[in-house]
Amino acid sequence: MLEPLTSAGELPLLSLMLLGLPLAALLIWAADAAWARWVALWAVLLELLLAGTLLLGFDNTLGGFQFVERAQWIPTLHIHYLLGVDGISLLFLPLTLLLFLGAILLSWNSVRTMPQLYYTLLLLLLTTTLGIFTALDTMLFFLFWELSLIPAYFLISLWGIGPQRRFAATSYTLHMFVGGVPLLFGFVLLALGHGEATSQFDYPALLSGTLSVELQGTVFLLLLLGFAVKTAIFPLHTWLPTVVSEGPIALSAILLGLKLGAYGLLRFAVPLAPQAAQEYHWLLAGMGVFGILYGALLALAQSNLRGMLAFSSISHVGLVLLGLAAFSIEGVQGALFQLLNFTVISGGMMLIAGMLHQRLGSTEMLQLGGVANTMPLLAALFFLFGLASMGIPGTNGFPAELLLIFSALKSHTGAGLAALFGVVLGAGYLLAYYRRAFYGPLSHRVVATAPDLLRRELWLLTLFAVIILAGGLYPVLVLDTSRVAAEAWLNALVR
Amino acid sequence: MGAEWIAPVVVLAVVLPLLAALAIGVGYLLGGNHGEAGERGTSRLALSASGLSLLGLLGLDLQALLAGATPGQVVLGEWLVVGDYRLLLSFTLDPLGLAMGTLVALIAFLTLRFSVNYLHREAGFQRFFLVMLLFNTAMLLIVCAGSAWLMFVGWELAGVSSYLLIAYSFERPAAALNATRAFVTNRVGDAGFLLALFLAFYWFGSAEWPALLGGASGLESLAAGLLAGGFLVAALAKSAQLPFAPWIARALEGPTPSSAIFYGSLMVHAGVYLLIRLEPLFMQVPALSALLVLLGVLSALYGLLGAQVQSDIKSALMFATTAQVGLMFIACGLGWYELASWHLLAHASWRALQFLGAPSILQQVSQPPRPLPEWLRRRRGIYHAARERFWLENLSDGLLVRPTLQLAEEVERFDTRVVNRLIGRMESADTVSSLNEWERRQHGGGGTGGIGTGHGVAGHGMEWLASRLAWLEENLILRLGGEGLQGMIGRVGRQAQLLEQLLERPRYLWLMVMATFVVII
Repeated sequence: MLEPLTSAGELPLLSLMLLGLPLAALLIWAADAAWARWVALWAVLLELLLAGTLLLGFDNTLGGFQFVERAQWIPTLHIHYLLGVDGISLLFLPLTLLLFLGAILLSWNSVRTMPQLYYTLLLLLLTTTLGIFTALDTMLFFLFWELSLIPAYFLISLWGIGPQRRFAATSYTLHMFVGGVPLLFGFVLLALGHGEATSQFDYPALLSGTLSVELQGTVFLLLLLGFAVKTAIFPLHTWLPTVVSEGPIALSAILLGLKLGAYGLLRFAVPLAPQAAQEYHWLLAGMGVFGILYGALLALAQSNLRGMLAFSSISHVGLVLLGLAAFSIEGVQGALFQLLNFTVISGGMMLIAGMLHQRLGSTEMLQLGGVANTMPLLAALFFLFGLASMGIPGTNGFPAELLLIFSALKSHTGAGLAALFGVVLGAGYLLAYYRRAFYGPLSHRVVATAPDLLRRELWLLTLFAVIILAGGLYPVLVLDTSRVAAEAWLNALVR
Repeated sequence: MGAEWIAPVVVLAVVLPLLAALAIGVGYLLGGNHGEAGERGTSRLALSASGLSLLGLLGLDLQALLAGATPGQVVLGEWLVVGDYRLLLSFTLDPLGLAMGTLVALIAFLTLRFSVNYLHREAGFQRFFLVMLLFNTAMLLIVCAGSAWLMFVGWELAGVSSYLLIAYSFERPAAALNATRAFVTNRVGDAGFLLALFLAFYWFGSAEWPALLGGASGLESLAAGLLAGGFLVAALAKSAQLPFAPWIARALEGPTPSSAIFYGSLMVHAGVYLLIRLEPLFMQVPALSALLVLLGVLSALYGLLGAQVQSDIKSALMFATTAQVGLMFIACGLGWYELASWHLLAHASWRALQFLGAPSILQQVSQPPRPLPEWLRRRRGIYHAARERFWLENLSDGLLVRPTLQLAEEVERFDTRVVNRLIGRMESADTVSSLNEWERRQHGGGGTGGIGTGHGVAGHGMEWLASRLAWLEENLILRLGGEGLQGMIGRVGRQAQLLEQLLERPRYLWLMVMATFVVII
């Protein structure tokens, strides 16, 4: 039986967020198919309102978790329904919602087959994603983690744009299962090896507990493997370009925008096995630096925008790992900042790729050329997002990348130098694609007759652009929210 | 001294052009200032922002004159504080910074005024003014910044605006290509700047100019050399000195006013300005000063010879600029920093005038271009080398660009052929890509037939193992000593040879050297 929720505030806001979406999904089926997109849109807008309330109510001078809700779930195994946010996870909620808002607006007129099912799946995916960010019980987290596969599978296989979407869906699911198994083992080991008689899945309790060093090594490697698959770390990265080139672009934007694997490393793998993490810093840094260069080189070799974005995201996540491996305050703050940035930068660029694809039927370099002639606004906004992805000052990529590079140079100097080389390559692949696809004369009739951004697209991208500029001009906005949590994260490692 | 209005005025002077640029951008997004009708509002906004910025700086000059002393370091507050990294918002208004700031504001204002007529009825009028205003702020940040990091902000924004103006007529492929090339070359310099920034924070805990220059005297010569080296790479790239010189010759694709302000007058001097700012640091490292002289001499020669063989006025002016900036580098290397600053101020003014006047000169002078000087006509080798810009671009293409691209292609092949197949991807797993491969398959047996098919990584692994074992049995044990073993040895040999060939290519050597470095450090 469920115990009554014990929430800190008046309203169980987080539960409301999680429950509201499935309810909206039910509403979709009650209404006419033509209204499905409107229901989804309003659901996400209302959720954004809730997220806004969370932001206002959050006290970033306090450490620990806020808006905590706890209830018994499976008493025999000591598994709880435990939700809460801290400075690390809080900002992901509104940004995730924004990204899904973008996904819905991108699909607005393009999804014509089974719209009810499509938007239902999208809302369910959103529910599980929000669950991943708010769950504080490792089993609850794992549940959300695995549940997110179901909507993703159907979205890819039914609404994919490539001829091999079925294969992409299977490949994605299999990869995620391969990652899920070690994750589950890791969490179970953590729960059992905790030293007490009863098993323990409570994340805050696990944080303060002590785990024997030998067990920590195993746990860390298991969790690392599990999250590495989701992060798309070499050699387990092949699913990402496959899904991005075969799956629906709205989903690709979500996958590229939300680096859940890296978030998992930051949230679970490192703090739960702190000594092992420090022992294996070379592994993290090695994966990071290899990812930076490997991803950048592959991005340079792509002729399709979606492929290029997929590999550039692999390259960017490499830098985040490198920053994490530094175990310094600038490293973790930079990593967190950059992960938040990805939602608007990578997600935004992928949304633009989707808009291009809807207009031209392709994002292949050879099919494009001279896009800036007929779609100046789209080209300008893509360029702005590209600047953010290169870490140019004025955009939110700059402070984050600066912190990451500084931390990498300090802790792993050689790797940091390689990351600087990655900076040069980053400008290379982005501008090379921009030159071939957006500049140059008009050579295809579809490009010559395509319309510029529609009003809803313009508003959406302007919103993203404002976030990019705000984060770049006034980074304290983000960094202050996470400061206390990041310092606690670091202190727990040093302890 | 001590007037409270100094800080707000300097902030306004720097930020106003940026705000105007934003306003133009937003106006364009909302559709308010398109076409010829929008020109008036756009140019008025731009001119008033730039003019007010100039007035603010003149006011600061006046105040300094009356007070008899410049305000010096003006600290506004913190921008970002994480751990040991304190990034302050501050401006250095010493005689050098104020003088340069005023000059920048003046030239920017005049050029903008010139452009109002020059770009009349151009399709990209609004875009041009937006980017010019962005550059105005960027350049003011470079010269007035109180710290290395704030200068870096301007440095990068100047690079971006330079890219956007080179690609002003982006429908021409050459313009787009040259813009990309210029920006990527500048990125190399930016990497050097970033490294130096990090070192400054690491050693002094601050990137403020006073702290950086004060702390530099306590550094060992190797450390000081590293720090100065990072800045030097940035300065060389931005000021288009050897070995980065050729990008600037490609940068003239933009409209003439932008060429004047970027490559004739202001941005090209940013590198020299950085050197002058860092005078105490460079004075500490004689080896780098010698290098400065050497690179300056080479760049001056490069510019001199290059200018002789140009047939259009803008290119000739550009090479002359490179030569002049080379002279400034020589002056810095010899320790004559004051001379270099005077040279900089004078050169910036007269070159802006020359560039802006160039189109009119062409219209009014109908003489054929000047013939080659006699001494150069007799030395065909030098002539040819100068025409080809001393093959510097081919050199950097051959040594850096092409190997990187080839490496990228090979990594791509590795990813699709090896990694993808290992992890399991549908396509290309069952197809034969070449006749060669088909023959090899026929020859070598192998194949997955008959043993059974598995799925997933583990399944494929088992399947592979089973088929290999079957193959081993069939080819080695059943036909021992026969054609099977021989064929296999031949194949192994071919593979080894392939590996050898790959390793012999210089890019892999580079890669291995780099990997070694990464591991060692």
